[in-house]
Amino acid sequence: MSSTAIAEKLKSEWETPRSLWGKLATVDHKEIGIRYIVTAMVFLILGGIEALILRVQLFRPEQAVVSPEMYDQLFSMHGITMIFWYAQPILSGFAVYVIPLMIGSRDMAFSRLNAFTYWVYLLSGILLYIAPCMGQAPHAGWFSYLPYTGTRYSPEYGLDFYALSLILFTISMTGGAINFIVTIMRMRAPGLTINRMPLFLYSTFTISWVSIFAMPALTAACVFMELDRRWGTHFFSIADGGNPLLWQQLFWFFGHPWVYIIFLPATGMLSMIIPVFSRRPIVGYHWVAAATMLTGAVGFSVWLHHMFTTGMSDMAMSFFSAGSMLISIFTTIQVFAWVATMWKGRLVMTTSMLYAVGSIALLVIGGLSGSFTGIIPVDWQVHNTYFVVAHIHYVLIGSNLFPVFAAFYYWLPKMTGRLSNETVGKWSFWLMFIGFNVGFFPMHIVGLLGMPRRIYTYPAGLGLQPLNMIETIGAFVLGIGILVSIVNWFTSLRTGAIAGKNPWNADTLEWDTDSPPEPYSVVHIPTVASRHPLWDEHDESYDPDNERVFDHGRLTLVSTWLDAEPYAISKMPEETISPLLVSLALFGFFLALVFQQMWLVLASFVCVLLLSYYWLWPRPEGEEVA
Amino acid sequence: MASIAQAHEPRFPRQPGTGYPLDDNRGTWGMWLTIATEATLFVLLFSSYFFLENNKDRWHIDEPPKMHLAFIMLAILVASSFVLHWGEKQLKLERYLRARLALGVTILMGLGFLAVSAAEYLDHWKELTPYSDSYGSIFYTIVSFHAAHVIVGLLILSYTLVMPRYSPALRSPYRPYHVASLYWHFVDTVWIFIVGLLYVMPNVRVYGF
Repeated sequence: MSSTAIAEKLKSEWETPRSLWGKLATVDHKEIGIRYIVTAMVFLILGGIEALILRVQLFRPEQAVVSPEMYDQLFSMHGITMIFWYAQPILSGFAVYVIPLMIGSRDMAFSRLNAFTYWVYLLSGILLYIAPCMGQAPHAGWFSYLPYTGTRYSPEYGLDFYALSLILFTISMTGGAINFIVTIMRMRAPGLTINRMPLFLYSTFTISWVSIFAMPALTAACVFMELDRRWGTHFFSIADGGNPLLWQQLFWFFGHPWVYIIFLPATGMLSMIIPVFSRRPIVGYHWVAAATMLTGAVGFSVWLHHMFTTGMSDMAMSFFSAGSMLISIFTTIQVFAWVATMWKGRLVMTTSMLYAVGSIALLVIGGLSGSFTGIIPVDWQVHNTYFVVAHIHYVLIGSNLFPVFAAFYYWLPKMTGRLSNETVGKWSFWLMFIGFNVGFFPMHIVGLLGMPRRIYTYPAGLGLQPLNMIETIGAFVLGIGILVSIVNWFTSLRTGAIAGKNPWNADTLEWDTDSPPEPYSVVHIPTVASRHPLWDEHDESYDPDNERVFDHGRLTLVSTWLDAEPYAISKMPEETISPLLVSLALFGFFLALVFQQMWLVLASFVCVLLLSYYWLWPRPEGEEVA
Repeated sequence: MASIAQAHEPRFPRQPGTGYPLDDNRGTWGMWLTIATEATLFVLLFSSYFFLENNKDRWHIDEPPKMHLAFIMLAILVASSFVLHWGEKQLKLERYLRARLALGVTILMGLGFLAVSAAEYLDHWKELTPYSDSYGSIFYTIVSFHAAHVIVGLLILSYTLVMPRYSPALRSPYRPYHVASLYWHFVDTVWIFIVGLLYVMPNVRVYGF
């Protein structure tokens, strides 16, 4: 069979029908990855608009652009949206799109679960955003401390939406984590042994394990909160033997590992992008891989540093302070590896590389202010001030937003087949970089001057006004910078230069596929002989006897987890609408729980059950799955 | 490479045109990871119990929970795990009817567990409710979470019971029996910890050994 005939055969096996049904039923990781990315960017814009309203309110002292209640709802929705519904899902989106291509597989290990976790993610975000539409958004910040969030002080539905949409969100994140772990362990192309894995795989693999062990804490905390709020239990009420600190313990046991969940994959992206644009392999590959995994592990022993002001033994404080310091060593290893890679390499300053370098600068500033707050006396001094706001934004924008933009400029040509405009991209970078620093660096100073976070205004005459004005201007410049890039990407869809297979002369397998890749990704499952498959002599797709074509159905190769030796073939599922139906029923379940309509809860549970049975029911051989 | 492929040979025929046997392992991996995350949930529930217990004077166990029903439930669940494991062995020997029978017996024992559990609730409720204090809240939350897991386990087992075939097939699901019983063994194990931590330990504290 000629190779075009094989390609035709594979295409007929893997192509999703171009119809409404095909759109709803698709299990193609490329389609789902793009959906994750688009949805997360919509949440970024929503959270960004909320932030800009906050900054307008703080432009001058004692303004009344929004009411104090409205201000509380806005900063809470801003934090919740950005930290949960933007920061991790955007990384999942890139991972879902890129990882199967990067490991030479034709899909994720569980492609229907992949569709399901996307739909649940989307619907959990919709569930959260019903609350502001009812005028009752959560109003207690993204970590919603008890007892303020009990029904006594917050009788509205806002925090019920918060708790239940987060439980729905954890279902999506846990499912995604399981999918990534099995995909990375079992679906790698022959020869892609564990010591040849691209570093982005290490970071996604690590945070998936972290998710497995961290997400249940959020689930438990939200269940307790909801039971206390609407079902009369006493987990958090002091008078009946409860303890509000239980919430903080559970939330931060989840919350601090979560910081690494939204941070490590982004550093993994940097470890992919920086070597490519330095034209050399990364310095200290093993060190970076080990540092990534150690960050994930040690990330479980730092959570009390969010609670240094709640009162605890000196022993506990010393332990968690030391843990927090230890983490900075692992991050520093990564930073030095990137800097050394650039030092030894020949730099190609594309927009993507600019964002990568910029993010290192921001990350170092955020890391330093993090080391400050890890020291207990300093922490006591700056707790709940704008210093902490500055720290979190330097860390999260430096280690999430900027790497994500670097990733957009790096991988978007693979997804769309067209290059983005570099000049406009560089303008966008400088607007974002300058805007961000102008907007957020003064927050360190106003924090040290004593301005508390989460207060809707400040009195005149304290000297806070000029710095707050500068911050607002900077925030708008940052917003404009983001907008410039988004416009740039949309216009490049039509007018961009054709990218070709490998526009950056990069080293990993995803650049050996067409841009955009065909539905089956690769004609011949590749074989790998080194850490940089496209930079070595070995021909990945050399397969004269068509032994690695697998065109008898939707098939891909399964290999052992250490040495990636192929030992089995896996059959991938056809399009199916059941993931969407099950997630809709789950959405109904949680919506009914918010309003405690128990008959509807029961009815939705039965629907979830029957639809899951339908999803999993074995179809007779050869019959197409409906 | 060949040896690993051969180990899988008897279960599944080679896929036509590929030279490799069919992979039946991903589902098992998925279930192990689900168990890992669910086990963490229970660990955190137990931690919450001990965290609240640490409130000292604000934590009341007026009377430690009676243990006899909990031990009967423990016996039922552990025995059901053995029955199910026997069923899985029969499955490997391709005695499908016996495997199905073992599954049916396991489900009946699970229902028995729920019945005794209901009796235990009715008995216990006279002294303690979730609305009494923090001890009641966390106690009932943990046992109810477990009961919910038993119900989910039973739903999974019932689905496996009515599945049309147990013989190796070329279409997913490949090893439903194995995956379902993994989950059931996990639910059993959790109950062992609940009996130890929530029933036996308070009794030991009050009455000694």
